Amino acid sequence: MTTVSVAPPTTPTVDPRDPEDRLARFFDPGSMQLLSARDTSGALAARGTVAGSPAVAYCTDATIMGGAMGLDGCRHIVDAIDTALRERVPVVGIWHSGGARLAEGVTALHAVGEVFAAMVRASGRVPQVSVVLGPAAGGAAYGPALTDLVIMGPAGRVFVTGPDVVRSVTGEVVDQEQLGGPDTHGRRSGVVHVVTDTEAEALETARQAVDLLAAQGTFAPAAEEPAVDLMALLPEQRNRAYDVKPLVASLLDGPGLELHPRFAPNVVTTLGRLAGRTVGVIANNPLRLGGCLDSASAEKAARFVRMCDAFGVPLVVLVDVPGYLPGVGQEWDGVVRRGAKLLHAFAEAVVPRVTLVTRKSYGGAYIAMNARSLGATAVFAWPGAEVAVMGAKAAVGILHRKKLAAAPPGEREALHAQLAAEHERIAGGVNRAREIGVVDEVVEPAQTKRRLVAALAQAPSGRGAHGNIPL
Amino acid sequence: MAVEEIHAEMVSSVWKVLVAPGAEVAAGDTLVILESMKMEIPVLSERAGTIGELHVVEGEVLQEGDLIATVVPA
Repeated sequence: MTTVSVAPPTTPTVDPRDPEDRLARFFDPGSMQLLSARDTSGALAARGTVAGSPAVAYCTDATIMGGAMGLDGCRHIVDAIDTALRERVPVVGIWHSGGARLAEGVTALHAVGEVFAAMVRASGRVPQVSVVLGPAAGGAAYGPALTDLVIMGPAGRVFVTGPDVVRSVTGEVVDQEQLGGPDTHGRRSGVVHVVTDTEAEALETARQAVDLLAAQGTFAPAAEEPAVDLMALLPEQRNRAYDVKPLVASLLDGPGLELHPRFAPNVVTTLGRLAGRTVGVIANNPLRLGGCLDSASAEKAARFVRMCDAFGVPLVVLVDVPGYLPGVGQEWDGVVRRGAKLLHAFAEAVVPRVTLVTRKSYGGAYIAMNARSLGATAVFAWPGAEVAVMGAKAAVGILHRKKLAAAPPGEREALHAQLAAEHERIAGGVNRAREIGVVDEVVEPAQTKRRLVAALAQAPSGRGAHGNIPL
Repeated sequence: MAVEEIHAEMVSSVWKVLVAPGAEVAAGDTLVILESMKMEIPVLSERAGTIGELHVVEGEVLQEGDLIATVVPA
């Protein structure tokens, strides 16, 4: 595809919805070249650089028919995606569109479908990031949804059918923001990965994502250990919940990009740099739901693992999990089907992936958090970590129920503690896990970062040959 | 800004209540500590404000979604 010269620098009076202006604000200053001349098609595409790395971007033109998508506009978008695919560079879509052009009828629907097909062709091959700055309705809603990451500014709205149709069909009265605004999609539906306070921040976040995925860097051999004592980030009481995010932040070189921070927050998924190289961190967060895995968090983590695998991003898995969340709601919600996605994602992944058990890893969730059996590159544990089917006290409560019941009430507690200690030694402690090879090594917290980096750097790099279906 | 409602995320029992209605809290302050899955799980305020209503007492068993407290933003 040819490029054409860019129009003179935009003036301060420019419409804030102007696609050329939005694209120029996304790329490095002065780096943008339009892929085709401006027209009335409703979409504009350009190439440029992001922190020095080449990238392609397209933007719907909200100044024409509210950004509605017709045949010509969709062709620009398809060309942009195919260009990115051919050149193996990331492609970013900036969305502000009411959906397919009604006046074009089925022709427009067909064209929108071709955009979707192009996105799926590129899926897992080049990173695709969407920035939703205004309404993205109907067909335009599924555009962002098919891409790897969705970032939403304060005016972003995503829905299949708008408030008027909802009201006429179901009688539900809801405004655009409640139906498909940042809070709805950032917290409730999980459609959006990152919500931002301003449009500028949304574009900046997309730049950060592109930089992390396009310029992944290499591991610097001598990783400096964090200045803070990592063990001190966990409470002294082993049964006390805590926020895992400071631990994630301490391991990474600088602030990472947390995806889905408010959706399924019992698992944290963050892209960041570890000793200079992009990694994906998956961590149980005990502060939320006690760190239990559940259907939503397993699915969220599975999608993150598959995205990282598709783009060759190594994984760091921080485990402190009491198990899967029990309950009728979970079972009926498909925790078996949706939890299976996480097993599938890890077992399939060919990127280096290292697990660190900080405190405990129990039951089915133990397996799901990148256990040795699923092919972990290495499994580390901190001193005192427990790897077991369940906590030792609970286990002996079941295994020795009769013995405990027969003990005099005054001695029962002491017996329980003694049995638990014995059980932990033979079945649950980290030493037993080492003996059978499911934990490779007990590492001191102060050496954690160095060991994680060494294990990831030594493993053969890989990249999964699969698309990134939006699980 | 709207009053923040804090709900129980999971079936749990109330182990400790650390605030009373009218108390001022900062973002990240612990309001109550729940007990579930053999863990003590602190429930934090997401923003600074004043405790409006408190709907739980120590020892009470909560179902998922039960209202614990409201925080009136500062």
